[in-house]
Amino acid sequence: MRRFLYEAFCFSLCLSLVMVSPSLAEFSLDKYHSPPEVSSLLKSWNSQHSELTKLISIGKSAGGHPLYVLQIAGSSSENLSSQSRPAVFVSANLEGNHLIGTEAALNLAHKLITQYPSDKKIGRFLKKRTVYIAPLLNPDAAQNYFEDVRYGRKSNAKPLDEDLDAQKDEDGPDDLNKDGWITQMRVKDPEGKWIPDPQEPRLMRKADPQKGEKGIYKLYTEGLDNDNDGEYNEDFLGGVEINLNFPHDFEYSQKKTGLWPVSEKETIALLKFLTDNHNIAMVLNFSTENTILNLKQTGKPRLAGDKVQVPDRYAEFLGLEKGKKYDIDELINILEGMDVFGGREIDESFIAMMLGLGPAMSLDKKDKSYIQAVQKEYKESLKKAELEYPVNKAQGVKKGSFTAYCYFQYGVPVFSTDLWSIPLPEKKSKKEGLTLDQLKSMSSEEFLALGEEKIGAFLKEIGAPERFKASKVMKMVESGQVTPSQMAEMIEKMPQQKGGNGEEHPDLYILEWSDSQLNGKGFVEWTSFQHPTLGEVEIGGFIPYLKTNPPPSKMKKPITFHTDFYLDLMGRLPELNIHKAEVEPLDKNMYRVKLYLTNTGWFPTSTAQGRRARTAWPIRVELETSGSQVVFSGKKIETIPYIGGSGDVRKLEWTVRGKKGSKIKVKAWAPKLGSVSTSIVLK
Amino acid sequence: MIKNKTFIFILAAGLFLAFWSPQGLSGGKVNLNFDHFYDHEELTRTLKKLEQAYPQFMEVQSLGKSYQGREIWAVILNNPKTGPAEHKPGFYIDGNIHGNEIQGAEVALYAIWYLLENYGSNELATRLLDERAFYVIPTMNPDSRDHYINKVADPNSPRTGLIPHDNDHDGVADEDGPEDLDGDGSITRMRKKDPFGRYKTHPQDSRILIPVRPGEKGEYTLLGQEGIDNDGDGRINEDGPGGYDMNRNYGYNWQPDYVQRGAGPYPFCFPETKATRDFLLAHPNIMGAQNFHNSGGMILRGPGAKNMGKYPRGDRKVYDYIGEKGEKIIPGYDYMIVYKDLYTVYGGSIDFIYSVLGAYTFSNELDRSPMASMPGAPQREEPQDEEVQRWQRLARELDEMFYYDRVRLGKQYTDWKPYDHPLYGKIEIGGVKKFGRRVPPLFQLAETCHRNAAFCFFHADQLPRLNFDKIKVKKLKNGLFQVDVLIENTRVTPSISTQARRQELHRPDRFQIKGNGVQLISAGKLTDSYRDITQRIETTDNFFWNQTGIPGFGKEDFRLIIKGKGKIELIYDSLKGGYLTTSTRLK
Repeated sequence: MRRFLYEAFCFSLCLSLVMVSPSLAEFSLDKYHSPPEVSSLLKSWNSQHSELTKLISIGKSAGGHPLYVLQIAGSSSENLSSQSRPAVFVSANLEGNHLIGTEAALNLAHKLITQYPSDKKIGRFLKKRTVYIAPLLNPDAAQNYFEDVRYGRKSNAKPLDEDLDAQKDEDGPDDLNKDGWITQMRVKDPEGKWIPDPQEPRLMRKADPQKGEKGIYKLYTEGLDNDNDGEYNEDFLGGVEINLNFPHDFEYSQKKTGLWPVSEKETIALLKFLTDNHNIAMVLNFSTENTILNLKQTGKPRLAGDKVQVPDRYAEFLGLEKGKKYDIDELINILEGMDVFGGREIDESFIAMMLGLGPAMSLDKKDKSYIQAVQKEYKESLKKAELEYPVNKAQGVKKGSFTAYCYFQYGVPVFSTDLWSIPLPEKKSKKEGLTLDQLKSMSSEEFLALGEEKIGAFLKEIGAPERFKASKVMKMVESGQVTPSQMAEMIEKMPQQKGGNGEEHPDLYILEWSDSQLNGKGFVEWTSFQHPTLGEVEIGGFIPYLKTNPPPSKMKKPITFHTDFYLDLMGRLPELNIHKAEVEPLDKNMYRVKLYLTNTGWFPTSTAQGRRARTAWPIRVELETSGSQVVFSGKKIETIPYIGGSGDVRKLEWTVRGKKGSKIKVKAWAPKLGSVSTSIVLK
Repeated sequence: MIKNKTFIFILAAGLFLAFWSPQGLSGGKVNLNFDHFYDHEELTRTLKKLEQAYPQFMEVQSLGKSYQGREIWAVILNNPKTGPAEHKPGFYIDGNIHGNEIQGAEVALYAIWYLLENYGSNELATRLLDERAFYVIPTMNPDSRDHYINKVADPNSPRTGLIPHDNDHDGVADEDGPEDLDGDGSITRMRKKDPFGRYKTHPQDSRILIPVRPGEKGEYTLLGQEGIDNDGDGRINEDGPGGYDMNRNYGYNWQPDYVQRGAGPYPFCFPETKATRDFLLAHPNIMGAQNFHNSGGMILRGPGAKNMGKYPRGDRKVYDYIGEKGEKIIPGYDYMIVYKDLYTVYGGSIDFIYSVLGAYTFSNELDRSPMASMPGAPQREEPQDEEVQRWQRLARELDEMFYYDRVRLGKQYTDWKPYDHPLYGKIEIGGVKKFGRRVPPLFQLAETCHRNAAFCFFHADQLPRLNFDKIKVKKLKNGLFQVDVLIENTRVTPSISTQARRQELHRPDRFQIKGNGVQLISAGKLTDSYRDITQRIETTDNFFWNQTGIPGFGKEDFRLIIKGKGKIELIYDSLKGGYLTTSTRLK
């Protein structure tokens, strides 16, 4: 009842605010917005700023929630339509339980709209660029946070028969202890595999028989066996997890990922929007993946930069050496020279297709260097902003995720951040001892100077395998076998040790954080409950949403930081310009025309992966002749694969016969770059 | 039991038809000729005519419209008197997903027509219509079918659907396709006299061009397909109609366009592939499937790509049994595996139907090359000396010209004729016309149709055929009965494929008992009847799931412990193996 009154109060407060000031003041970063609230915010912003915004409905979720994209584009002096300008797509909460992502996307939209008139940088940017913002792409799942019983839903509302009993969604969790959260049940069972952690008995871990431990408990999700099949909560409400339903490295036969890639209304709506809008040149995403910090990809590298072996039957036909490994460029050269493919363009995709090599699985080297540069700045600004973000815990891209699709198939620069994560407690040893970051920038001499004791302590702290004794590691460094920075890289790749061995429980820091920062509200203490079929059980454990969303009071700092960081990234879009155009007379009525095209943006005009995927089109340069003008050498239509960033220049040349003083027009264009043109006078 | 019932029914149905139908048992209600190709309008008319003639068996449905607005027709064949369609193992056929590979639609139409016309007179046709449901999409790609048949085309295109696609990335779609410059109805080739060209004429036949040897003087340059540079970008025919491949757009092991051209931006993004997918999903009883393509004479099965690994052993045995019989039904066709024997296909229809829906699927490449049927034509030989190969090629091409002259009687070949091209000047245009390759000559069409339909009938007949074989009731103490039930499967296809079982693709078979006050206490599989060893199965509310189904050419013994008395009904409900019931008494 008290909660209801409180909500009623909040609601009336909102209403009164709306009534008092119809401006954008009603948005602030102190609560999570429910799907209907997100929709009405977008609608009200759109109606108040129709000169700047357009609210596009791209479809509906499986559960019937609208899916919106807010388009923001200022009117330009050249009257450029929103679709003919380079654009940034901002997406959020495809996972459904990443509520903070939605708030961050809303905040970004809010900032662009409200500061458009006053902030010169934003004003200039929006006059020549378009920003599309989709703050809530999995509303079915997100809705769960605002319901009476919350379980951290990630799937959409498409009914699914997970347990193959010809019934759908009939055995979901039940809030047995009526606390509004779905947590866990532990039951004493002779076949149990779990024990309370000896150091922190609230946390459960698997018994380790090698240490003489015997399991005591079985663990279940809180709930009943609603369909009487002996299984608990095996057929949840819904559905498919939207952020696993995209087509790069999609996992088949997994139910929660969908029957096939892009099988869901949400995924289809989103990809249709992206493929219909060729002008989208960058994607900035909010999800639990932090792809700026963690560059690990989902599969083993295959095509990208790898050497490939040509199957014998082709090798013979093509006169190649059997069993030898070639790199792709080498093969392209060889095959181009053979002229046996009837004039077909021989490129990577052709070779991949012919040899059945499959898709690229790793970041292209050329792209990676740009991502690393962004990473460096990101890390530095995180530190400066004192965000306490646990950098080493950042999760990488997931199989079949939207971010993976955007890089590998849609072919644009994409960045995803999780905004916030539970901070790691500062370790005593870390204050004096060595940190990973220090190690990275250390020379071998500096490392050795630390001495055996400090190095030993550091190795122990990071949980290095026992065979790596301080003395051995020092020898390796001394002999040049490994450098400190290589070592740091290896440590980062090391799997985190879990439980056992008297070591800390991996979730201990979460519990400590909940105890100290949330007065223990993040954890439901184990409490006895009489279960109808399992008998005496205890219900308890971490509450859903705890690990991915801060309490609303802690939301502002990370969101403000990331809003600014994303605004900065948007400002680095490639920008196609004509550096200069020159005419040099060769003879009477014969001229050499030179055009210097430049990219004044920070990013190259396309990613290497975009070029491989052929979704980043080359720049098309057209020479428009008039009257008696004749192009003598050079083609009237030229294509340039790409131009590098930060003012890189590409020169084109034509020899033209034409009357002195006559004009010739040149236009350069690509869907993700817009177009530039100029008139050149022959003189 | 079923057998007896069926027999009586056939007898009854036969008698009924003999008295009722003026045409009698010999069929012949609808006279169809398989001596020409059906465009979409004629196909539509014909399907409607068949539906009118056989309303009791046939239903024509529209699955929606193609991009250009043609209906995508699906036919469902079933005899409702022997049960609803969803209670029978289903057999699916589609054809013509590639626009130029048209004869698949004629084969599908023939199969429909043959079953209907021969019901009651032919034992197999009768059994199939009684015991199986057929789901047939004669053409998946009506837009390109009509384009190929009624407009100018060449043997290889349009393979795509007709949604405009910007192949040359200039911001405009489909603006520079080929043209029929010489007005012969087909897109043929252009050549130009050129002493620096890399071709010269064949010494015996000047219509044939052969590559010159190094250092040798040439006579001709080949200029590609007939056409002009419509968009003035300096290239010819670089952006024709469409530009994608719907048989790379299915949602299993799909890969994007850069891994294989034509895949589309995501699976099922085209109206035609989406419509057929929804039709397949709406009929989960489909257990066998057949796609028709051209050409080469192949009976193909998946996997389409190596990364899928081998099919499970249990399923390979089913495929091999049917595929190898197929080689005898259609002489000259080879039973092959797509990725191993042909090329890599990601996102193809056969992989989707097998790996996602759990149904055994073949794809036939209809019609061998006319050359291949000639004695002495080289086939898949070890590579030989270059000069020997050159002579073999010369001989083969002479044979081919002989075929166009003396078998096709000149109708499918346009002799080179001069033409004044806006860009190339004086050139010659000529070559094989659109019906000259890949589709069968009309005098062979009926044979293609019959043999391939017969292969479908064989496969459909090999879908699971389940029977309650014997039921033994034994009275136990305390009012309990032990009921032993044997279910046999007299066909090669199991009621659940190994793939479906492993990947949990669909619900297992359901065994249920019904009766007044009757209660199923326990159930199991009798794994060793001599030693009385039973493997327990979890039961719920008088039913249990049989996870493994009934194996092909095999049986399963069930032992039920039932409380109660009197008549009980046994229901074995297999999603893909049929729905059968029988009854017995507890006494």
